[in-house]
Amino acid sequence: MSAFVKQPGLWCLALLLCFGSGRLCAEWWWPGDDDAPAQQPQVQVAEPFTQWRSGPGSMYPVIHSSERGEWLTLHKRKTSWIQVTDDEGREGWVHVNDILLTKDGRGRKVQLQAPRFDDFRTRRWEAGLMMGEFDSTAVNAAYAGYWLTEQLSAELWASQILGNASEIRMANINLLHQPFSNWRVSPFFTLGFGHIFIKPKATLAQSDDRDDSTAHVGVGLRYYVTERYFLRMEVKDYKVFTKRESNEEATEWKIGLSVFF
Amino acid sequence: MENRTQRIFLRCALCFAGLLSLGFAHAEVDGDRPLIAPDVRPQKVNEALIDNENFEIGAFVGVMNIEDFESSLTYGARIAYHLDESLFLEGNIGFAEAGETSFEKLAGNVQLLSDEDRDYTYYNVAFGYNILPGEAFFKVPFVDQHYTVNTNFYLLAGAGATDFAGDNRFTAVFGGGYQMILKDFISLHVSVREHLYDIDVLGETKTSFNTEVRGGLSFFF
Repeated sequence: MSAFVKQPGLWCLALLLCFGSGRLCAEWWWPGDDDAPAQQPQVQVAEPFTQWRSGPGSMYPVIHSSERGEWLTLHKRKTSWIQVTDDEGREGWVHVNDILLTKDGRGRKVQLQAPRFDDFRTRRWEAGLMMGEFDSTAVNAAYAGYWLTEQLSAELWASQILGNASEIRMANINLLHQPFSNWRVSPFFTLGFGHIFIKPKATLAQSDDRDDSTAHVGVGLRYYVTERYFLRMEVKDYKVFTKRESNEEATEWKIGLSVFF
Repeated sequence: MENRTQRIFLRCALCFAGLLSLGFAHAEVDGDRPLIAPDVRPQKVNEALIDNENFEIGAFVGVMNIEDFESSLTYGARIAYHLDESLFLEGNIGFAEAGETSFEKLAGNVQLLSDEDRDYTYYNVAFGYNILPGEAFFKVPFVDQHYTVNTNFYLLAGAGATDFAGDNRFTAVFGGGYQMILKDFISLHVSVREHLYDIDVLGETKTSFNTEVRGGLSFFF
């Protein structure tokens, strides 16, 4: 019992299983989807035909086609695919671009968000994960950013640097300026400050933990892959304001993938 | 005379009826109303009406082969975010407890690591790619019922950290897995992952290869 209390992982597992089984039972005992089919929006095929696939992906097999004039009920969306059913109870997945060619109950065009590359200019929130080297040591980092204007964003970073001699944790706040925000490959400049926490390795002779303030400048490149995500690479130069006689400097490079929300 | 008046009236009535029917027919064409009203409400279709399910959360249990320290039970949680139909990002956190080295077993009363240092905790973030999506078919024995489920074979590569033997080490992870989407909201995963990190607990620094084999359930939301 005490082992169970001590292990946070076991708690997570137990919670997840409860959540999972609860949802399963709910689905079996109270089949919610069947009770409220009228709540789901319906669209009418306007093109000669629309292809259905067995799953939400272009590599799943085509299982059915609907002719012009047939009505489809829309259920849920996974990435760019929408789950549909028809009057005869068939079930499948249709790409959002095909749903956009259908008409709603009033005979008008369906208003859904299609994947559009240009969207990156209007997005406000982004988050990403990056990996690289900090002073020749591996670094893992995560960040979240908010676009204040089309060119300027504010970011919050958390990094973990795992070296042979120490483990370093770092938190940073920075401003990012992207002068050519409508370019697909877009350079940026960044400036910020933060704090660094250094914990020496257990196998080394005992030395104390220490923490210092830092400031950094950096340059980088963003490459917009699709409407949802982009690749990012950057180089930053850190100045660590130590409590000793001289300050330290470190260079960091990272590459990673970010997502818009 | 009577006949003539009757005829005039009848003609007028006929004309009126004709005009009336023409008017009706015209009105019907004008309104563009179908003869049978459809079973569909004139509802506007937009983004807010459709539930987006791009996240997946789940738990797993498996075996972690910790180099030099036996194989042991591992368990943890996984969260995934699907960027598009092929690419996804996943985060994992897992726990295990390392066993004994062969040296400790042979030498008897020797402890290389304290009990606390044997706790093996890891996290990692990986990119996944659904390389082979497809379908699997089942026949339920003794009952004439067939099932079809969607499946995915995916590859993974990522990095994270492993906290073991007193230190936190940078860890690279790669592997692959098989996913069966049992219902739209639930899926079953079986995967094999290799965890690599540098360790110097047994003297020299070496790259340690740790294989994880695991199965789990996940829920889309």
